[in-house]
Amino acid sequence: MGDIVGFAVAWIVTSALGELAVSAVRRGSIYYYTASNQALDGESAFGFILVMLVPVVAFIVVMLVYNMIRFRARGKEILRSQAQFYTNKVFVTVWIAISVVVNLLFYLHPTASALEQMFNGEEARYNRQDLIVNVTARQWQWLFNYPQYNITQAADANGNSVMFLPADRTIKFVLRSYDPFHTYDASAGVIHGFWVPAFGLKQDIIPGETRYLYIHTNKITSYDVNPMVRVQCTEVCGPGHPFMEAPVHVVSAADFQKWIASQQKQQQS
Amino acid sequence: MSSIATDLLGDSPSQTHRRPMLPPVVRGLIWALIAFLVFNTLMSEVLDRMPYHPFVTRASVTVGWVAAVCAWLLGVGVWEGVVRPSFGFPTLWETPTDWRKYFMYSTDHRVIGLQYIFSSIGGFLIAGFAAMLMRLELMNQNLWVFSNPGAYLSTVGIHGTVMMFSVGTVGLVGGFGNYLIPLMVGSNKSAFPRMSGVSQWLVPAGIATVVLSPVLGQWTTGWRGYEPLASQDPAGIVFYYLGVFALTTSSLMVAINLTATILFKRAPGLTWNRIPMFAWGMLTVSLLNLIWLPEIQMTFLLGLLGAVIPFPYFTQVGSPLTYLEVFWLFGHPEVYIVVVPAFALWQEILPVMGQKSLFARQWGIIGLVFVMILSGMVWAHHMFTNMSNSQMLPFSFFTEIISIPTGFAYLVVIGTLWKARLRLTTPTLLVLMSMFNFLIGGVTGVLLADPVVNLQVHDSFFVVAHFHYTIIGAMIFSWFAAFYYWLPKFTGRMYSERWGKVLSVWIFIAFNVAFLQMFLLGLHGMNRWVPVYPAYLQPMNFQVSLFAILLGIGFVLHFLHIAWMWRHGPRVEENPWRSKTLEWQATSPPGDENFTTIPTVVRGFYDYSDDRPAVSVDVHADAPQGAR
Ligand code: HEM
Ligand SMILES: [Cu+2]
Ligand SMILES: [Cu+2]
Repeated sequence: MGDIVGFAVAWIVTSALGELAVSAVRRGSIYYYTASNQALDGESAFGFILVMLVPVVAFIVVMLVYNMIRFRARGKEILRSQAQFYTNKVFVTVWIAISVVVNLLFYLHPTASALEQMFNGEEARYNRQDLIVNVTARQWQWLFNYPQYNITQAADANGNSVMFLPADRTIKFVLRSYDPFHTYDASAGVIHGFWVPAFGLKQDIIPGETRYLYIHTNKITSYDVNPMVRVQCTEVCGPGHPFMEAPVHVVSAADFQKWIASQQKQQQS
Repeated sequence: MSSIATDLLGDSPSQTHRRPMLPPVVRGLIWALIAFLVFNTLMSEVLDRMPYHPFVTRASVTVGWVAAVCAWLLGVGVWEGVVRPSFGFPTLWETPTDWRKYFMYSTDHRVIGLQYIFSSIGGFLIAGFAAMLMRLELMNQNLWVFSNPGAYLSTVGIHGTVMMFSVGTVGLVGGFGNYLIPLMVGSNKSAFPRMSGVSQWLVPAGIATVVLSPVLGQWTTGWRGYEPLASQDPAGIVFYYLGVFALTTSSLMVAINLTATILFKRAPGLTWNRIPMFAWGMLTVSLLNLIWLPEIQMTFLLGLLGAVIPFPYFTQVGSPLTYLEVFWLFGHPEVYIVVVPAFALWQEILPVMGQKSLFARQWGIIGLVFVMILSGMVWAHHMFTNMSNSQMLPFSFFTEIISIPTGFAYLVVIGTLWKARLRLTTPTLLVLMSMFNFLIGGVTGVLLADPVVNLQVHDSFFVVAHFHYTIIGAMIFSWFAAFYYWLPKFTGRMYSERWGKVLSVWIFIAFNVAFLQMFLLGLHGMNRWVPVYPAYLQPMNFQVSLFAILLGIGFVLHFLHIAWMWRHGPRVEENPWRSKTLEWQATSPPGDENFTTIPTVVRGFYDYSDDRPAVSVDVHADAPQGAR
């Protein structure tokens, strides 16, 4: 009995400390830096799982450490343990019941609930006002095209690809992998991965397929504010893979219009 | 002592006479070189001349390689041990009794087991050296160790491939499995000793092939060798396919042999109810190997044909994702092939070290079996970033519930340790560390199984940290536990507890400091497969590299310690841990035969409620004194 009480105290204290640590991390930011609603959803799913798992992890870690210290053999002699039992119905039943319940819980929330949220966000009816950005991945460059504004290739003054987005808008990224400059070579396409770390989601870009990714930007920010606001290729695509990145700027609606105008002018010249 | 190859055929030693011969390994290398030159030349100069006729073409190198591997196998002894006897010729082959027996074809499962262990350590050191180069490169955000990203990516591919197929899949199975399983089930041989003798020599051939791949050209796909990128890569990918083919063939033969040994070679009384936990582990991984290795071999053959003929199956099949689907169909079971032996090992070692009966044994076995079954149903969790929405829910579900049978290994251990008399030896410590590390790997696995979280951390260093926690953290730590636990069995000698513990704490700290930070790197936006990355990630990468290098040094020191004690450790009694399992009932190291009298098992091996042995005869009472 004494051992059970001793263990329980150690477990509860450890769990409490663990929960304190997790809530401190959650008050900060698990994802370091977020700039979209989707990132916030992902972060809260992450945090929820951590909160639920702290007592589970604490149980096992405290068990391992407690057993190691409390039940260690003293002295050189090898002696059989005094206590010998082959099973314990209550312990096994509770263990299995808890592992089933925790799994079902995680499956319902956050897995299914957060996915439902994500799927809903992708429904066409919610997205009539979306800003459409055509993203083309080629070896090894990102190309951004804004069909609603007739911008065929957004670029900064040096001709490098750059992406501007208005804050507080839903963005529909249309993802394709091919080489617009070498369209005669259909087999040149490989898989790339479209990731803006601050947006909290990524999607692979498959040659021959068109895929979509929806993001709702929630703050004004940019690559200069935080380097996580960048497009980064996440699927290895040959030697140029590390260099497939492009800065992102999330700006106010007015600044976005200004940028559009300047891009259109740049394109005409 | 007469050769075992002769024994098998019933020839009397008087018929054998020694002809002067090169050492088998040297002869194998020379034969391989000759075979390669002959067949490569035949292909590139005669049968399949290419424009500008280069001497080495993809087709010629493939044919030359097949010939070279066959010649290598023949040269190390398959010629005398298998081919000639099959045609009825007498065996002109004598097995030396000293160290040289480890450097030639053998049919002794203990020799083969140690050969596999040496090959695995070789692969581990080579691929570990590659990891050190990678970590050195990542200390800085610019290219400085490698001159171009392709060289870095080839190194990543070699590291991952050699680690997975020659260490992860082999160390505990081909190595410890071959040595221990016949002993543990009370047999003097494995079921197919000759096949087993051949299979081991494919491992060095496979490792060498993968390591030599840059000779043919860079390949940037990493260990997945994935299409359509692979079909763009220079010819280095050919040696990836061939090397992996050799390594997986070897593992497949091990699986056949171990399965048959466990099914058919058990001593009388060793019923299904009494099969040792480690043997259960070997049985479940072997079944996984039997199911999934042929699948991946066919995949790689198609990839190889695509690179050589070309037969562009994967680029023309319509969906570029086909390759990834079939790769991960094998790839996920593969990670359980790596870790299931570790689970089994925990449950093998701890009841002995705690001198306490195994708790809830049947749940431990159910856990191993269900992990084995479920592992085939979750492959697409590697593809959340490119699957359709409708697939996400089922794959997420199966992935999450695999934690239930996995948890049973913890259930068994915790119940066993409760009120035990746990000796805090080096193997105990390493097993507990391994369990802690796997817990971190498992918790982050639950996070990864959640699609919304996965879409953020997939293909980032978060995943790199996660799988190294399961592989190094669980499998490699358990591998070292196995080395220390069975060193007295292999050698009759004991290691130094002080050094064993100090070095174990060393690798535990270095490993955790290095790899915990990798989770943070991933969350902070560090993607995979990059020798060049944004500057803000450099300080943490520097620390990771520092501790990764300390980890590498710790591993090497462990091996040096084990090697030293192998020769110079103090002699110990036959059964220093007071285990009831059969391998400890034979002499340490076992004599010419494992058991002079095949033991009869009369009760389970994990009952420590009394001192009665699990076997009815003292199996080596009449063993000759000189046997050690
Ligand atoms: C000294 C210990 C080790 C260190 C420091 C280390 C480090 C690394 C690094 C830096 C990467 C590249 C990650 C990326 O950019 O994608 C990597 C990849 C990998 N490692 Fe290790 N590793 C170690 C041991 C192991 C072991 C023991 C195994 C397996 C038995 C292993 C299996 C792999 C695999 C499969 C990959 C993926 C390769 C790919 O992307 O194709 N590593 N490792
Ligand atoms: Cu890429
Ligand atoms: Cu998997």
